[in-house]
Amino acid sequence: MSGDGDRNIIRVLLVDDEEDYRSVLHKRLSGRSISVVEAATGQAALDQLSVAPVDVVVMDVKMPGMDGVQTLKCIKDRYPELEVILLTGHANPQDGVEGIKMGAFDYLSKPIEIEQLVRKIRQADEKIVRARVEKEEAAFRERIKQQMVIAERLAALGTMATGVAHEINNPLAIIQESAGWLQQILGKPELRDIPRKADFEKALNRIGKAVHRARNITRQLLQAVHTQSTDLTEPVEMVAVDLQSLARESISLVEQEAQQKQIAIRLDIVEPLPVVWSEPYPLLQVLINLMTNAIHATGAGGTITLRLEGTDDRARITVLDTGCGISEEHLPRIFEPFFTTKGVGQGTGMGLYVSWGIIQKLGGTISVNSQVNQGSTFTITLPVKE
Amino acid sequence: MFKTPSYIMLVDDEEDFVEMLSLRLKEIDENVIPVYSGEACLEKLKEQDVDVVILDVKMPGMDGIETLQEIKKQFPLLEVIMLTGHGTIEAAVQGMKLGAFDFLFKPADFDDLTAKLNQARQRKQDQMERIKKAEAAMLLRSAKI
Repeated sequence: MSGDGDRNIIRVLLVDDEEDYRSVLHKRLSGRSISVVEAATGQAALDQLSVAPVDVVVMDVKMPGMDGVQTLKCIKDRYPELEVILLTGHANPQDGVEGIKMGAFDYLSKPIEIEQLVRKIRQADEKIVRARVEKEEAAFRERIKQQMVIAERLAALGTMATGVAHEINNPLAIIQESAGWLQQILGKPELRDIPRKADFEKALNRIGKAVHRARNITRQLLQAVHTQSTDLTEPVEMVAVDLQSLARESISLVEQEAQQKQIAIRLDIVEPLPVVWSEPYPLLQVLINLMTNAIHATGAGGTITLRLEGTDDRARITVLDTGCGISEEHLPRIFEPFFTTKGVGQGTGMGLYVSWGIIQKLGGTISVNSQVNQGSTFTITLPVKE
Repeated sequence: MFKTPSYIMLVDDEEDFVEMLSLRLKEIDENVIPVYSGEACLEKLKEQDVDVVILDVKMPGMDGIETLQEIKKQFPLLEVIMLTGHGTIEAAVQGMKLGAFDFLFKPADFDDLTAKLNQARQRKQDQMERIKKAEAAMLLRSAKI
């Protein structure tokens, strides 16, 4: 009918103050892929809905206490996705019209023909299913759109940053050679006894260190863009990759650091594991990046879980930690180049940016979920070998 | 054994860089010929004997790769070390395939640079040595005839 396999039984709440009438309808509706619960008053209907959800409400308009139209209003306020079919007295079709204005799906005049009611219930249910599918599609589209916005933003930032890196490299080389030349001169025998020689050497040494630091940043940046360039002249060398041995290798490389901080690393493999079609070395680099980040974010006694599993047509790698988490304001920016919360000289803010670039190039996706003080989860999906 | 003076040519459009690196190399008693473009490099090579060329990949006009190709065509024994940024590593690889001796990322470590310089010079000298021996053997043979 609706093509929704797990919901071919429509759950109906039947609301009427006449008990006999209810039980007759109940009996006649049952056995037509419809399950029925009953309520005698509007209030009872609301109570019932708060306990067990239904799909469609069939309700008499004329009831003592809270009448059908009032109850309809409450239902629509609290459960906007529910559909309500009103039953009106033969002489009062205006009640039904009023109800439709307030959001009822439709109305039927008593006496009711049961086939007609069943048809109405099915139509109402189809409308619910349709709305749900549309909502899911909209949410999916929104997610894709957000990912694309992030991807475009990162690409633009990358282009700018590498432009800057290229331009910085030349002056950097000049600074390096100038300072290096002075150092060479200071080392000459004729300058052995000049006053304040140690000060000169100290300053030149600092210049050298600073150049070295700047050079590391420009290198990482240019490398990041190099890894994600989709230049056709240099095809990606995709091979079949055994995720399990790759994961074990990454763990062995970060294990020592984790042990020092008393963090346990778990490898969680959900069989059967698909064979990934990828580039092993860059992928290893991403895993090490994520694991190292997780170690830095996690305190003593924490756990890092590396999970490998197959989904429908992809392989999924999850790196899960019990660390400090990422704040809501930082979360949208963590893949940006130069974004770091570490201190000066501690982190370049390139790790996740590089990882993002690599995964993009490998035809995969990378995303993050995090709760402050609960931990972070990084999820990678990758294409598998047919 | 008699040591012939050795010459290095430094090619980069960034004049301050060329000047500073030349001063450093001169400080360790190298003979450096600074030029600022691929065209000037080829022009100068016609009149000056050089052992090793240090060549920047990215230059306006004739770029490093084009210059390298022309050098290897006209002076096949000349050794060339390419200077490259990380973004132009493909060019460095291409350069090696076209006969460059090696490449260095810019800014390069001075010790790395001098080490490669010496290796390149050694290779050229070895090559020249072999050529001389071969020529001598050729002369001897023709003398016998």
